[in-house]
Amino acid sequence: MGENELRWQLRQLPREMEPPRDLWPGIAGRLTVRPRHRRFRWTGLALAASLALVAGLAWQLRPARLDPVGDLRADLVQRQAEALVAEYEAALRELEAVPVPPELAPALDTLDASALEIRRALAQDPGEVRLLDQLRRTYARRLSLTQRAALG
Amino acid sequence: MLNLAVATDTLPPVSAAEASAREEDHALVRAAGAGDRHAFEALYRRHVRRVYALLWRICGHEARAEDLVQDAFVRAWQALPGFRFESAFSTWLHRLAVNTALMELRSRRGNEDLETGDEALLHHPAGDDVERAASGAELERAIATLPPRARAVLVLHDVEGWKHEEIAAELGMAVGSSKAQLHRARRLLRARLGEGHGRE
Repeated sequence: MGENELRWQLRQLPREMEPPRDLWPGIAGRLTVRPRHRRFRWTGLALAASLALVAGLAWQLRPARLDPVGDLRADLVQRQAEALVAEYEAALRELEAVPVPPELAPALDTLDASALEIRRALAQDPGEVRLLDQLRRTYARRLSLTQRAALG
Repeated sequence: MLNLAVATDTLPPVSAAEASAREEDHALVRAAGAGDRHAFEALYRRHVRRVYALLWRICGHEARAEDLVQDAFVRAWQALPGFRFESAFSTWLHRLAVNTALMELRSRRGNEDLETGDEALLHHPAGDDVERAASGAELERAIATLPPRARAVLVLHDVEGWKHEEIAAELGMAVGSSKAQLHRARRLLRARLGEGHGRE
């Protein structure tokens, strides 16, 4: 068989084939969750911006020892940290329905426990910039893992 | 010049039927993108035969093709909100389906050599010996015996009409490699068909 004849025959092959069985039921059963890509992306960006802002603010306002306005600054940083927590939790709520793969669950639990521990430490020492930075990184990692689960 | 102008004017980019089908698809995509599963099922019913034929040829295995079709449509459902209506839904869906099949091929790389040498063709078992219509059945079986990567290039280029640049981008290879794989696939196919005729 010549090449041209082969190419012609290939072009004549049917472009459509009926599957041996109805595949829809197997598909329908898997359409449980629809990740909201765009909204999540914006939420993620907004959260990332907030995280950067809080980290920057905390760095600029890091209290000098025995600074008379240190308490006020610490209070401001603490409120910013609370805003950060609220935004992070709102972002995660959008992904609540996403089933977490079993292999990711231990890592997510560890990150949640770390975040809680850092928040407690921050409550005791609100002016500690290092803790705020740790919290930011922990949340970023937690969100990244959840997003990975959502996007499959 | 006049003839050329007239000829150009009388050649619409797509036929009226194609344009209508495209509009219907896009209406269903909008509904499905908003979460309407019935609309998505309608899209499935409209496109499954095309997607199945494509994946059946690329993977050369009936049961695997069924799994891939399901995977592809599930991925399409998840990715639908990102569809930008800049191309036909069918084009978008076929690319997604091909990508799904190639991901599966890559995942099996450890168990199966994608760059199988020519000599493997002589010992490669026939794929699913599905008896399709008499016309082309022999050709289909011969395609199924090709090494996976050469088979994918041949199907996409010679059956589906993709360009080498598109194939190279999708398969993550150089354009030259796509051309070489196609040349090799055709040569192997002719040898296989000749071998079949020789036995008869």
